[in-house]
Amino acid sequence: MAKRIKLAIGLGSTCSGCDIAILDLNEKILSLVALADIVFWPTAMDFKLSDLEQMQNNDIDVTLYHGTIRTSENEHIAHLLRERSKVMIAFGSCACFGGIPGLCNLTNKKEILETVYKETPSTVNPEFTTPKTKIAQDGHDLTLPELFNDARALPQIIDVDYYLPGCPPVVELIEKLVPIIANFLEKGELPPKGTVIASDKTLCEQCPLTKENKMISRIFRPHEIIPDPKRCLLEQGILCLGPATRGGCGARCINARMPCRGCMGPTAEAKDQGAKMVSAIASILGVENEKDLSEGDVEKLMSQIKDPVGTFYRFSLPVALVNRRVKEGG
Amino acid sequence: MAQTEEHAAKRITIEPITRLEGEGKIDIFLNDEGNVENAYFQVVELRGFERFCQGRPVEEMPRIVTRICGV
Repeated sequence: MAKRIKLAIGLGSTCSGCDIAILDLNEKILSLVALADIVFWPTAMDFKLSDLEQMQNNDIDVTLYHGTIRTSENEHIAHLLRERSKVMIAFGSCACFGGIPGLCNLTNKKEILETVYKETPSTVNPEFTTPKTKIAQDGHDLTLPELFNDARALPQIIDVDYYLPGCPPVVELIEKLVPIIANFLEKGELPPKGTVIASDKTLCEQCPLTKENKMISRIFRPHEIIPDPKRCLLEQGILCLGPATRGGCGARCINARMPCRGCMGPTAEAKDQGAKMVSAIASILGVENEKDLSEGDVEKLMSQIKDPVGTFYRFSLPVALVNRRVKEGG
Repeated sequence: MAQTEEHAAKRITIEPITRLEGEGKIDIFLNDEGNVENAYFQVVELRGFERFCQGRPVEEMPRIVTRICGV
């Protein structure tokens, strides 16, 4: 039997859409499993934490890790997988940048517990019982992982070799793993450390819509406009993160005429996705009569952007320069 | 299945529950006859969508809450 690599698919706090994205390879998954034996994949197969603990260091050749680091258990498994694996790939936006669960950095653990265990209309919990890391129930000791105050991306916890972004990653990018793994198996060669398995261009550069370098005088929310389906959405006043987002996704949202929300993460040049987007907006919004605008006018223009933090850092807040809310109640 | 040392043969821990999205754990406690005395199912993960969706524009919800479960 030909030599095969040992492949693990590990997870943190995740929706497991990344697992489904791997299955979306359909028949192409055969070319992946022809090269690899799967030695850990809890979402699809019956592997336990103890299986991972019993492995020796470097027993796994390649690990694809998806999910945000949100609990002490996520952190433990991430460290364990790193020790057991020769190559660690952050797979999907949660692992690469924190992803949508990273929006919890706009709140905190206390507020989350209050909302989930007390305030939601469907909750009946007069004693405000919340998860504890250790309880004695009927004489039995039960434990739970600790929920962290912040979400973190995988590279903020462990050393990561490669990144494959997307929420979830598109099949066209996942397929690129096959020759990378084949090369590793046959020649022991790997791409340069830190390689992002995606495009080095921005989404704007790959966008099928027509750009006319037009300025905009206001921002529209979706119910306020019917956009021209052939023209750049941003130039029609619809917030689109194309200028601040890495390409390689095949512009799948744009092709459905939905504006980009940045799941591929920051571009190759600008590491802070939100800052880049603010700069892109500032260069086209209201600039034609900029000289006549008072500070109040500018503020009014910018206030048309509802929820700038949650929009511009939709998938990348944990890796942003300022990566959480710092002012209580702010 | 793993058995913890302190309760060898009396406690069976299934961790994680596999082939589903969302992380769960089951602890089963056996009595001296080997029958199940108590069993506990725990959800070991919380991301806080209920809270961090607050403050986001309503039109963004379809593209945020779809990440609760992607299976």
